[in-house]
Amino acid sequence: MASSINGNGFITTTVDELLSWGRRNALWPVTIGLACCAIEMMHAAASRFDIDRLGMIFRASPRQADVLIVAGTVVNKVAPMLKLIWDQMPEPKWCISMGGCASAGGPFPTYSTLQGVDRIIPVDVYIPGCPPTPQGLIYGLLELQRKIREKKVTRYEKAFEEFKKDLSPEILSGIGV
Amino acid sequence: MPWASSQTLDRIKRTFRKITIDTQPNFVCLIVEDTQEITNILKHLKDVEDFRYFIDFHVIDFPKEKDRFLGQYILVNPYTFERLAIKVWFKSNKLPTAKEIFAGAKWAEREAYDMFGVEFEGHEDVKRMFMWEDYKYFPLRKDFPLGGIPEQKLPSLTEVLEGNTFPPSHDYDIMHTYVPTIKDIEKTEKSRITKKGQLVLNWGPLHPGTHGTMWFLFDLEGEHIIQTDVILGQLHRGMEKIAENLHYFQFLPYTDRMDYLSAVCNELSYVQAVEKLANIEVPLKARYIRTMFAELQRINSHLLWLGTGALDLGALTVFLYAFREREKIMDIIEGNAGFRLTSAFLRIGGVHYDLAKGTLEVAKYFVKDFYSKLKEYHGLLTRNRIWLKRTKDVGVITQEDVYQYGLTGPVARGSGVAYDMRKIDPYAAYDLVDFDIPVGDIGDVYDRYLVRMEEMYQSARIVEQCIEALEKMPENEPYVNKKHPAVLPPKEDVFNDLEDMVKSFRIVVHGENMPKGEVYSSGENPRGELGFYIYSIGKSSPYRLRIRSCSFYNLSVFPKVIYKHTISDAVALLGSIDPVVGETDR
Repeated sequence: MASSINGNGFITTTVDELLSWGRRNALWPVTIGLACCAIEMMHAAASRFDIDRLGMIFRASPRQADVLIVAGTVVNKVAPMLKLIWDQMPEPKWCISMGGCASAGGPFPTYSTLQGVDRIIPVDVYIPGCPPTPQGLIYGLLELQRKIREKKVTRYEKAFEEFKKDLSPEILSGIGV
Repeated sequence: MPWASSQTLDRIKRTFRKITIDTQPNFVCLIVEDTQEITNILKHLKDVEDFRYFIDFHVIDFPKEKDRFLGQYILVNPYTFERLAIKVWFKSNKLPTAKEIFAGAKWAEREAYDMFGVEFEGHEDVKRMFMWEDYKYFPLRKDFPLGGIPEQKLPSLTEVLEGNTFPPSHDYDIMHTYVPTIKDIEKTEKSRITKKGQLVLNWGPLHPGTHGTMWFLFDLEGEHIIQTDVILGQLHRGMEKIAENLHYFQFLPYTDRMDYLSAVCNELSYVQAVEKLANIEVPLKARYIRTMFAELQRINSHLLWLGTGALDLGALTVFLYAFREREKIMDIIEGNAGFRLTSAFLRIGGVHYDLAKGTLEVAKYFVKDFYSKLKEYHGLLTRNRIWLKRTKDVGVITQEDVYQYGLTGPVARGSGVAYDMRKIDPYAAYDLVDFDIPVGDIGDVYDRYLVRMEEMYQSARIVEQCIEALEKMPENEPYVNKKHPAVLPPKEDVFNDLEDMVKSFRIVVHGENMPKGEVYSSGENPRGELGFYIYSIGKSSPYRLRIRSCSFYNLSVFPKVIYKHTISDAVALLGSIDPVVGETDR
């Protein structure tokens, strides 16, 4: 049956797959540059590498974004502010740790440097390099897309639970939930 | 740079009999015994001897001495370009402030307080410069460890969320130095500014327009800024502390990561300081290669300024055009150094590799092409009505400001101060090439724009001349001084020659001891004078390495210039000062 439907301008799919398809093809990163890696991030967005073609548009507001690219050294002083930005991003969201500094402190094992951004933010993809080339960043972003595709979407159920809390019992019984 | 001549020193000595004069090959300083007299001496040097150009103030820590902290000023006479250092001991951690004499000392003293915990009499605004308000330690003191003091359990969230795996996904120390909470940061913010106007507006720290992680607080009356404070330290990685713990050659890659837009220029300033200290001669070919790459890097850095500066003012096209050329330069650098951005291409005593095959042809083609591209940029902006309205007569910096705040680079030259280390104290091959220094007239944003555009043209000229000279050289000309004991031999020799292998092994493992002494040496970065002061006690790592950051001092004039201007002017002004956070914070 599936083949007869697919052949006539329709496709059958699951909600999971549809959501994950939508999510992974419109990853909007936040425009946050911390250090040297930010320059390579800019290069990835500029003329030659142009990650717009992968559906990635840099957004200046964390409210409109769903990927946080931690590009550069995270020092102790900036850590709470970065965490705040992460908290401001709506679910579902992902985090990419770009470069050695963000992943594990890199060449700065000093008094002022956070030794790995995964101590404050859960990281999905680590990209090695100091700094990674734009190609490296794009590879990391593609890996993130793969991760989203392979990992089942689980978070919308939780989001629906949150949504139900806001509704009154009358409405809920009205819509049969 | 000629250091202060003996006549000048004699004159000063005649006026102040109590000071001693210390003359070293690359360093001349006055040692002031009486701490209270320093204000008079600085005033005298400024008003009578014309040492009006404030370059740097820093502190050195000697835990075993009676007075412990030694302060050091570096001043320049902008007419004769003589340079002079003044040393003075702190009396029970205190020194009279110099901020009334040199406005640039205000930030320098705040930094000294932050790093060493020294106090300044008469400086009411001594607050943390890089760390947050409640930070307990003074990191650059000799008794503070490089890694800080771990006091907080901070596990990796990857392990927390996904459980421990075997073998462990992470090999790390679970104890971490104290990470401030948002409350600590808010406290820092509140302590910086007392509200006088209607609204305090935060700009940054994670705002795309602030060129990194700078944090501005604007106190607004209507749309006009009546008070500004800049909170730095969102990228303070402890470079100076790292340098004290590494061998000389090991610090080289760290200089790349300071002003990450002009890596080769940073390296050049650094290796130059070490070469002066150890008295290393550099072969001619290496000097030309250094010059060529430094100038390519300067074009590269100015292109980023052009792109982002124009982007801040709403011209997106220029950004994409500028990055097109940047990619070409990065390809040339990558082909030679193996790295696009943080290249680590230079070595103490020469360069890492010989020129890669075909570099000269590519560079030649690039330069030939670049002149027409430069015309394109001029066509986009120079007579653009919107651009003129946003930049003309905005953010005027006077010559007096330049001297007072220690501004250097295009910011100084835009205001008509022809201060360029490449001409004053020629290094690398700058004495063998022909180029001009453009200077501005009134010192507004537009003047600085024109100065940088012209500098790109001049850089392209220098690159052309370097290519010409390099083409004439025989192919097996040495590119590194192999004879000197402190110079790492090139890799192909290490693999093929026993002696070189032993030498390389010795330097890498034990480091080479450098002679005792002091050096202050600086180079002309795209942003200004990047100076390295090295205090060597004869070991393989410096006792104190001070980085005189150009962005830091250039930025210090910002609160003064923006006073009674609008927020939109602040964006234009910051773009024209063009600071890089990696260098302001170090």
